[in-house]
Amino acid sequence: MFTKENKKIDIKEAETVIGPSIRVKGNFHGEGDIVIEGNVEGSVKTNNYLLVGNKAKIAADIEAGNAQIGGDITGNIKVKGYLELTSSAKINGNIETSEISIEKGAILNGKCIMTKQASSANQKTKEEK
Amino acid sequence: MHIYIYDSFVNQKKYDSTTAKIETRITDLGLNGKIVRLGMMNSVDEVINNEIKKGAKTIVVVGNNDIFNKAINAIAKTSQEITLTKKIPLGFIPVGKKNNDIAKFLGIGFEESACNIISARRIQTLDLGLANDNYFLTEASITTSGTNLEIDQNYTIEIKEPGTIKIINFPVNTKLPKNFYCCAQDQILDLYIEKTQKKKLFSGNKEENSLIPFKLLTVINKKKPLIIDETKKLNTPVNIQIAKQKISLIVGKGIEI
Repeated sequence: MFTKENKKIDIKEAETVIGPSIRVKGNFHGEGDIVIEGNVEGSVKTNNYLLVGNKAKIAADIEAGNAQIGGDITGNIKVKGYLELTSSAKINGNIETSEISIEKGAILNGKCIMTKQASSANQKTKEEK
Repeated sequence: MHIYIYDSFVNQKKYDSTTAKIETRITDLGLNGKIVRLGMMNSVDEVINNEIKKGAKTIVVVGNNDIFNKAINAIAKTSQEITLTKKIPLGFIPVGKKNNDIAKFLGIGFEESACNIISARRIQTLDLGLANDNYFLTEASITTSGTNLEIDQNYTIEIKEPGTIKIINFPVNTKLPKNFYCCAQDQILDLYIEKTQKKKLFSGNKEENSLIPFKLLTVINKKKPLIIDETKKLNTPVNIQIAKQKISLIVGKGIEI
């Protein structure tokens, strides 16, 4: 199983950082880990880790390898591996993921579908390490 | 053969003793070569193009950031024009304290000590950025005010607060936060958006800045130009990407690229 420690990245390791003072419009497709603290409209995609800060506002469909979300999201979220919703998360949209944890206080308005890729996603992450 | 190209300002009388010291040191080190003094009748582009075609082994420019940027452009353009069997390294002897900060980041001291670096011949091959038809080694910058950015023709960036936009290949004038990493050998340019910090006692929250790697960036600002290598102003729109050409530079000891 994933442990909280080994999944978390912080801003120090991200290749792409969208700061709170910028707004991105369009299809934002990154290749490495992404941290979003600002606004995004369109779509967000990465095969790696996505960290959405608690002041971020996203109106976009999201695809990521693993994700930790603490911001305001309007759109569908698809995560191959593990998705963590922190207490400040507000999601208006559907979620599709293999593993999930939802902290007390998080708001989820939408369907949550659990896919059966948890074990393979886990294995992949272990192999990558 | 070493080709020494003196910028036109170095020909002023006040630099006579400096150039004499440089030439003596070059002779002592056995690095004698041809000296070309730039003036009204010749340009760096022309001189470098001709000398490379004639078989120059090393080009050394003597001056400041300005001639250094022009030399990079001339070498990159010439190597695009003709197929070079071997890369021609570029050496740099900075003269005068003004407009000469690139040398410091390449680990090159002033005047005579720069001659020792030419002699040691530590060569690093670095990426170059390409802004329209202009090559740059370090950074390109423009104000956030009135600037529109489009990345990889996929998305646009709107900046809500005042600051500076920097396109970084080799960060020399930007103090990046410890967590942001840019390298001049990874074939990637990074867009760094730095928010103007308000003067507060505990200001400097670098987490408010943004860093985005890209392949193609379009910069548009109707009023302000983009400045490359702190020397050349380019009117927008400017398309910026990593150049196919690289540059081999003679650098000082222990510099981190």
